[in-house]
Amino acid sequence: MLKKLQILSGAARYDASCSSSGSKREGPASGIGNTSNSGICHSWADDGRCISLLKLLLSNDCQYDCAYCVNRSSNVVERASFTAREVVDLTLDFYRRNYIEGLFLSSAVMGSPDQTMERMVRVAETLRTEEQFGGYIHLKIIPGSSSELVRKAGLYADRISVNIELPSQASLERLAPQKHKEAILAPMALIGREIASSLVERKTSRHAPRFAPAGQSTQMIIGASPENDFQILRLSQGLYKKMQLKRVYYSAYMPVSDDNRLPVLAAPPLLREHRLYQADWLLRFYGFSAEEILSDDAPNLDESFDPKSAWALRHPEFFPVEINRADYGTLLRVPGIGVTSAKRIIAARRFSAITPEGMKKIGVVMKRAKYFITCSGRSFEKNDRPAALLRQQLLLGESPAPARSTQLVIPGIFS
Amino acid sequence: MNRYLYDGTADGLLSAIAWILEEEPDPEQVALAERQDTLFEDGFFLATDAIQAEDLFFRLRQQAPDAAHTLYSFMLAEKEGMESSLLHYIALAFIHGDKVNGYLTHPAVRDIVAVAKKAGRELHRMKGLLRFEKLRDGAYFAKMEPDHNIIHPLAYHFRSRLRAQHWFLYDLRRRTAARWNQGTLQFGTIEQFTAPALSDDEKKVQALWQTFFKTIAIPDRKNPRLQKSNMPMKYWKYLTEKQGE
Ligand code: SF4
Repeated sequence: MLKKLQILSGAARYDASCSSSGSKREGPASGIGNTSNSGICHSWADDGRCISLLKLLLSNDCQYDCAYCVNRSSNVVERASFTAREVVDLTLDFYRRNYIEGLFLSSAVMGSPDQTMERMVRVAETLRTEEQFGGYIHLKIIPGSSSELVRKAGLYADRISVNIELPSQASLERLAPQKHKEAILAPMALIGREIASSLVERKTSRHAPRFAPAGQSTQMIIGASPENDFQILRLSQGLYKKMQLKRVYYSAYMPVSDDNRLPVLAAPPLLREHRLYQADWLLRFYGFSAEEILSDDAPNLDESFDPKSAWALRHPEFFPVEINRADYGTLLRVPGIGVTSAKRIIAARRFSAITPEGMKKIGVVMKRAKYFITCSGRSFEKNDRPAALLRQQLLLGESPAPARSTQLVIPGIFS
Repeated sequence: MNRYLYDGTADGLLSAIAWILEEEPDPEQVALAERQDTLFEDGFFLATDAIQAEDLFFRLRQQAPDAAHTLYSFMLAEKEGMESSLLHYIALAFIHGDKVNGYLTHPAVRDIVAVAKKAGRELHRMKGLLRFEKLRDGAYFAKMEPDHNIIHPLAYHFRSRLRAQHWFLYDLRRRTAARWNQGTLQFGTIEQFTAPALSDDEKKVQALWQTFFKTIAIPDRKNPRLQKSNMPMKYWKYLTEKQGE
């Protein structure tokens, strides 16, 4: 069991999603577990990432041969598979000791897609019905599994996701020949429809079954194929708007094979992944569109600036913004002002005009914001600097971004 | 400036604040402190009135639920010497309602909100970091030494989460305990503590968790600094995954 766990959690480790939030479930009265809206981290791994779910592959014994994946059938690795019962017991044992919020189960294609999906659904079904488990469950949908199983998965899980894997059909055909665009998009569309109709039904009856209450997410691999950032962001934008996805996760390609269909990378493109996440935030929370962030002429995100600063530099006519008058949407566009500080500014200025002193207390990153704002008409810096000079100033002033960017270690330096 | 004293209890503090808000035209000009037993202390002593205290909290919750929540978290911190700030904060909350928490340019609001935030943060953290061990009789037992007195809200959290099992929480620093068994939650103190015997499979499950914990980290991205800033070392003592490292 220890060995199996090692193989099958090791194989799941590159899966980026650790979020367990967005679903509020009162557990069954006789069972254990609930989920809470804010999400709880139960530990932080040695790489500093939050652990909130028991992240596992049901099996790594894959029939498929995707070039970018360690588990591809042509690769020589140790293989293992769990039974449904083993996963159920592990989840319960961990949950009862408060190690985890729940289970995140994915799998390689073992036998056929349906065979695999059937066993995964059985895990979720046993947890929910036999064991009265009320904790969080996230299931990955295996491309090509029947719509019947997809529906069932959605009834038992809080979140289900289908990996889009690669940003274009051409890349998919080249690198993952057994997966077809249709096999990925069809379940996505089905899930989207089911979520929407379950929400409608629940408006009329509180007892209508909930379908994936925490929504649908997907993941794509960055840097294994030639698409530019503009293509990627437009794809994400489409997924958010047309498929109602909750999140798109980007995962820097880890060189795992010397297959000649793949680019040779010295290191995974972590900075690019980081910039894509920042741009994704702009799409979801800051009211930006992909076309504002990038264009065909400048199709890739600037490595030295976060995308918001880069946008601000291209739009000097938008600034300076007056802190004591600007509306929420405008405040959000100022580099150095995030969602929290924009809300705080709006709250604080109801009492009295905000002074430069007050800005810092509110949590505005003045080092960046000062070039773009006025405070009751007063400016902090000359706002009419030529763009080139401003770029330089910002670069010097830019402190290393927190959290994520600390992952930017050159692999091997610590080991 | 008028100066008032209270007996140092939570009820005493809240009932004193209720009295001052009732009687003093400008609470901003009033100071409130815990009574020390010295002869030379000046100030009027306000007697504790638990009903007044509860009534104050109730009214605050109706008029400014967020501020009441802040007050609750602030009390978990058991902070001394901030009574005047709390008085001024509550006075402002009754004037401005929930908007008061945005008034961060006011020193009292800033101080109270900061303390409350810290307590709230530890409570949230502990919901994740608390570790239960299975005992021989099938009950689950968790030890902790938090900075704030969070056993009550923590127990309520686990009451809805781990309903179907029998469990104990024990705060070693304050010697307080919570117990959930078959639908009832009780609080008490433990004076004499002896470590109870673990169930036979407990070590096996712990080893599985330790294995998972080790394996899930990406080997090339070791980042002990980030790990420690998210999960300060003071909590490691009772973390299953950090034993025997
Ligand atoms: S199907 Fe999944 S597990 Fe199998 S090789 Fe492709 S990506 Fe890897």
